[in-house]
Amino acid sequence: MAPHARIVERRSDPCRISLARRSWLRTGEGGGSAGFVTRGQHTAFVTPATPAATDLLGSLRGTPALRPHVDRGLAGGLRAWLEDGLFERLGTGVTAPIVRISPRLLGSGPPVAGTATARLRGALLVQLLRLRVAGLEPASPFEDAVAALGASGRDAELVSVLADLDIDDRSRLAAEVAAHHTVLATTLPSLPARWSPRCGVRYAIPLAGGAVVLRGDVDLALGASGGSRACVCLVDLTTSTLGSASDATLAYLALLETLRTGEQPLRVAALSTADGATVVREVTSELLADAVELVLDAVARSAAA
Amino acid sequence: MTVVERLCAPTCDVLLARASSGSRDHDVVSARLRSQLAARLADSLGADRRRHRLDAFAAELGPARFDAPFAWSARAARRPIGTSVARDVAVGAMPDALSAAASEIERLCDRAHRGLTRRGALGAWLAAAPSATRALCAVEASTWAERLVRLVEPTHDGSVAVGIPDAWFEVPGTTITLQGRLDAALRPAEGAHLGLLRVRDGLPGARAADGLVVDALVAALAGRCPTRMLGAWPDAGLCLVVDFDDEAARRAARLLLACADALAAPSAAPSPLEAVAA
Repeated sequence: MAPHARIVERRSDPCRISLARRSWLRTGEGGGSAGFVTRGQHTAFVTPATPAATDLLGSLRGTPALRPHVDRGLAGGLRAWLEDGLFERLGTGVTAPIVRISPRLLGSGPPVAGTATARLRGALLVQLLRLRVAGLEPASPFEDAVAALGASGRDAELVSVLADLDIDDRSRLAAEVAAHHTVLATTLPSLPARWSPRCGVRYAIPLAGGAVVLRGDVDLALGASGGSRACVCLVDLTTSTLGSASDATLAYLALLETLRTGEQPLRVAALSTADGATVVREVTSELLADAVELVLDAVARSAAA
Repeated sequence: MTVVERLCAPTCDVLLARASSGSRDHDVVSARLRSQLAARLADSLGADRRRHRLDAFAAELGPARFDAPFAWSARAARRPIGTSVARDVAVGAMPDALSAAASEIERLCDRAHRGLTRRGALGAWLAAAPSATRALCAVEASTWAERLVRLVEPTHDGSVAVGIPDAWFEVPGTTITLQGRLDAALRPAEGAHLGLLRVRDGLPGARAADGLVVDALVAALAGRCPTRMLGAWPDAGLCLVVDFDDEAARRAARLLLACADALAAPSAAPSPLEAVAA
């Protein structure tokens, strides 16, 4: 069986896809110069060619008539569950210090902070997503992303990191961004404005009288809240490959959206521009319950630390 | 001063009900309070010929809150553009927020190209910016407007007005301008009490209610006196409701005076604002 055929067969499982493709690249079965951007293989894994388009938007949209009804009591119940759990774990002396929970603290292992270059690559891809949402097809992805990042008024630290890059690193980053953008453009070809796309939606949910703050942000939110049926979809964009942490992040983001608006979202999705893999999860009460447990565990770990 | 309520993920109906349920039978910002405030502000900063702007941010965080001069960015531009976007979407002039944002940016750029904007204005910055920056501004503004429109769900019956202008009040005889940040006006029925709403990022701080009464006072000085002031923090899904009564008006005036005193004597310790808060 040809390597390509093997990969296509395994597309339904993003973790297996990336593992399969990575092993294929390492063994050189695919031949040619496909694979890592740099010779030293010290940059992130990117797809060697335009991947087969996955219909991410179609998966998110689903069949409108089959969407679940909004459960108006769910958010209050989840909040009460969280408050009770925090009281059990932290007791009454929770005035200080403030515990801030973010997606990278949800795992059981120690949180790993990405390198500045990796964060920069992610920030540039997020800017490209925003440009695509605005209907701009970037002719020069790297230059447009740099212009957008510089004008965003945020991420001043990353802007200075970008300015300090030498010409080699900058060229390497430009190649990476262009490769990731190719995947992004294939997976999210266009977004209808009537879907009410919002970019960079932030969450800061205070609990336990403000002693615990659940923070997070969603790269892309689609659909309008306020109806009788759930229709908001959240998309998390990452430049790394998807793994088990993605599920935890998606559940966490679904919980934050539920607490913030009082309505559970319809679906949450993660899109990796490293290999075009996507994960789409239906938001159910079980998913939200898992997220509550994750948060309570993370708070207990943070408080103990 | 009383924080009437702290609402989690409120619906528009709840906001409307809370906005109008205050009671008042007289003008809380009397002519005496108005003249005393103007006189005291003139005493504090009257000799200083530099232009000063006092607002809720200054009252909550102190007057010296920026360490760099202002420069336009997509983040700074989203509210000015988003206000027009929210208004257009609310009245049905545009089909969606993104199209409205693109149209508004195009209008601002057109004015700049025709020489109708002053140097340093948003339109001039947008007209000189690359297309990627303008596209980013459109997305930021539409996201901001969507957030406001989803919060208050404006209808055509006039009970909710979004995209309203901020309140401004020039203190007579001084170079001081008071700014009250306003994003929506809520009046469920003709003749009902007026509630004003202001939206902010992040989480409400410990002195969030102070900022709300300052915004309400400036709105009252500018001729739009609310019965209640609502502060929404959509990132947190929270809303604070404050009664704007006599006590709240006096506290807001004291906060503005303390802010002016802190501006006049920046090295003085302890900060007059902290004294008011205490």
